[in-house]
Amino acid sequence: MSGMTRKLSDNILDKFSMDFLRNQVLKNAYGNDDTLIAKMDPRVLIAWYLFFGIVPWFANDLIFLLMSFMIVVVTTLMARVAGLVLALFILGVFSQTGYLLIATLIFGGDASAIVPLLILTLKVATISLASITVFSGLDPDRLANGLMWYKCPERLSFSISYAYRMLPMLMEEFQNVLLSYRMRGNPPDNSTFTGKIKYLVYQVKVIIHAFYPLMLNTAKRSRTTVEALEIKGYRYAAVNKEVKKMKLASLKVTYNDMIFLAVSFLCVSISLLLTSIL
Amino acid sequence: MNVIEIENLTFSYPGAKIPTLKNISLTVEQGDFLAIVGNNGCGKSTLCKAMNGLIPNFITGEFQGKVLAGGLDTQKTDVGTLACKVGYVYQDFENQIVRPTVLDDASYACMNYAMKDYLDRGRDALKKCGLEGRENDYIWQLSGGQTHLLALAGAVSLQPDVLILDEPIAQLDPGHADRIYEVLKDLNENYGKTIIVIEHHTEYIADYCKHVLLLKDGNVAWKLPADEALRHVKDLTACNIFPPQVTRAAYALKQRHVLPLTTSLPTTVAQGMEIFKALANESALTNEKVLANESTLSEEKGKAADTAASVAVGAAPCQADAQAAVEFQDLSLSYRSVKGKPHTVFDHLNLTVRKGEKIALIGSNGAGKSTLMKLMIGLLKAGSGQVSVFGQPVRSIKRDALSRLVSLVYQNPEEMFIKDSIEADIAYAMKVRGISRWEERTKELLEQFRLTELKDRDGRLLSGGQMRRASLAIGIALNPQILLLDEPTANLDIATRREILTTLEAMKDMTDTVMIATHDMQLVCEWAQRIIVLYQGTVIADGTRDEIFGNARVRQLTGIRPPEIFDMGQALDPDAYCYTIDAFVDRFGGMENVWNDQKAFG
Repeated sequence: MSGMTRKLSDNILDKFSMDFLRNQVLKNAYGNDDTLIAKMDPRVLIAWYLFFGIVPWFANDLIFLLMSFMIVVVTTLMARVAGLVLALFILGVFSQTGYLLIATLIFGGDASAIVPLLILTLKVATISLASITVFSGLDPDRLANGLMWYKCPERLSFSISYAYRMLPMLMEEFQNVLLSYRMRGNPPDNSTFTGKIKYLVYQVKVIIHAFYPLMLNTAKRSRTTVEALEIKGYRYAAVNKEVKKMKLASLKVTYNDMIFLAVSFLCVSISLLLTSIL
Repeated sequence: MNVIEIENLTFSYPGAKIPTLKNISLTVEQGDFLAIVGNNGCGKSTLCKAMNGLIPNFITGEFQGKVLAGGLDTQKTDVGTLACKVGYVYQDFENQIVRPTVLDDASYACMNYAMKDYLDRGRDALKKCGLEGRENDYIWQLSGGQTHLLALAGAVSLQPDVLILDEPIAQLDPGHADRIYEVLKDLNENYGKTIIVIEHHTEYIADYCKHVLLLKDGNVAWKLPADEALRHVKDLTACNIFPPQVTRAAYALKQRHVLPLTTSLPTTVAQGMEIFKALANESALTNEKVLANESTLSEEKGKAADTAASVAVGAAPCQADAQAAVEFQDLSLSYRSVKGKPHTVFDHLNLTVRKGEKIALIGSNGAGKSTLMKLMIGLLKAGSGQVSVFGQPVRSIKRDALSRLVSLVYQNPEEMFIKDSIEADIAYAMKVRGISRWEERTKELLEQFRLTELKDRDGRLLSGGQMRRASLAIGIALNPQILLLDEPTANLDIATRREILTTLEAMKDMTDTVMIATHDMQLVCEWAQRIIVLYQGTVIADGTRDEIFGNARVRQLTGIRPPEIFDMGQALDPDAYCYTIDAFVDRFGGMENVWNDQKAFG
């Protein structure tokens, strides 16, 4: 039995290594650039998101919310979002509202609490899934271009794509620094219960300490990057309208975008229709 | 026509007491292929940054004199305009790449300068740099050499007249290094670009460059045609630059009066052939004579060559019965990839490392060297099969027990520094484990690795060689039974590399089983007892240096390349196995008397 628990915990630890996280982040950003969502025009998608990210907050109608929820579930599936993100989403939503239901039942509530809680859950879930569709379905560069079209500052859009450029490198470095701690540190014995708690505290401490070398190493790297950006005319481009136009020239609304919008609109209309009939 | 003209340039960084560049005057002609050589810290990079206008426009300091790049005064022109005249590739080139996909990065500068045809320019540059067909790849899918080519393409896309590269091949295996230089040669010859490289590898200078500029303490010592420059053995060695081994061997033979003093020194193997040919014939002659009397070394070496003809699979025979330190049994491993199928690194690998062996692990970039090491310290888990250390599976050994058995020193020493002084870093592992006398041992280690004076400095701020020494000290602090070193000499100039080689040699007594993953064949030849060659995740050769380098098939397949002097020796006499200049000089120049006799006869 203990062998099995050990194997299980080993397994989970293996799954949750830095390597795995790095892979998931990359997968999320770039691994699915051949999906329908990824090929869509970012401007259209952002507009679509503005609707599904805001309207559910103010709607209380169960049918409309259910329909919206279904739409975003479909789009999330279409975007082929990485497993980790979905797992975090499920954990997030149900830790937010699931415990409320349990608390209600424990403190004498009855089944009538389910409907209002369901509405809340649907709202949160719809908005989250819409965000996931847009932010992880689109690759960061297209997202950045889309934001730029909506007059977001150039610096913001550059930061988004640069962050994704740096992230894998930073994670690898962080992994190596953590490994240095693992190789040279002396973690407390984790066979007893107090030992386990101590071990956890130790791990958290190591992760915090590991940020210091990470920051310094990054600072060292960025010296070259700053000079290279200067040579590559980054500052020059930031103030040049012509460059912005060139960047945005690649954006194009296609039939697929139109169909996507039309289908979404149709579904929403049907739900509104159903609401008024029932 | 001169593309670069420098008149009386003096530059000092803010706060520096003495100027980095002192009254430099220099011209570079259009179409030149110039190598800049010089000691560490002699101002090579500073000079190059003055040429592309980063100094004084972006990096300020005290600037006197005049620099013309492509006819433009760098002081009066902005960095952007100059970037279209002079391209620059950094030594740490991966930090120069700012966009996630290949074409995007290659055309990024052109887009920023509002060139309408930016994508075409990017594609054109990629084609020139041999990256055609990779346009839509993500940058992390590229190998080290390809990443460098991409950084080069980013500079080429602006179509500058001059390209400056800071140590282009320091991190690359010979195959990739050749490729970079072939691309540069093509740009130089077929597109008329002027190429300026900061380079320590004089073999490459001899093969590709037209001129050499020697910088010494911020001054130009001389600028000469490459062949002539490399013959200035004394000047160069005084600045810690080592001319090609062939040149040095001829120089040594001249000193011994084996070669006439009038001989002009060869710089390439082809030239060496002309000059050493006579010696080879004589040495063959004398060898026959000696052979008649007693069995010679060359006969033994001939035998070694015979065994090498079939790829050896066993280890060095002398240690065949020693205890197994690490065993890989039927090991398979694959990485998750961002897209598509997992990437297989090892497929049913079997390998045994015996106690006390000094092993070099070689193979091109991406052959699985680092992965193999990570398996030994239990960082990666095998897909199937198992890794055991002293008979116990790695996974069943507790982390702190394992770290006393196996220690890994990373390729990138910065990642070893987790404290704010190297003293604290060296002490850390011993301190947290409560090892008695850790303070004394730290002191000893600092002393042994000549770090006592630097002990309060942050590791990251040390020079390349010091950083490497510190990381080695950290690696052996716990007295591990097995020490793994990942590329201990990468990114170092030749002088620092020698220093590390000496350190490694001295460490032989302090350590037991050592494995080094490296591209540095000089290190392999001078240090290793057993050489393991990895190729696409399998061990394709395993044996002594004679067995590996004498095996043409292995060399051809993996692109590993022995030191130049070995090739020179082989070209002269297929039975000659000379790994060092001294061995070569002894082999071909030991017949001083014979030569004198002949001269007397002739």
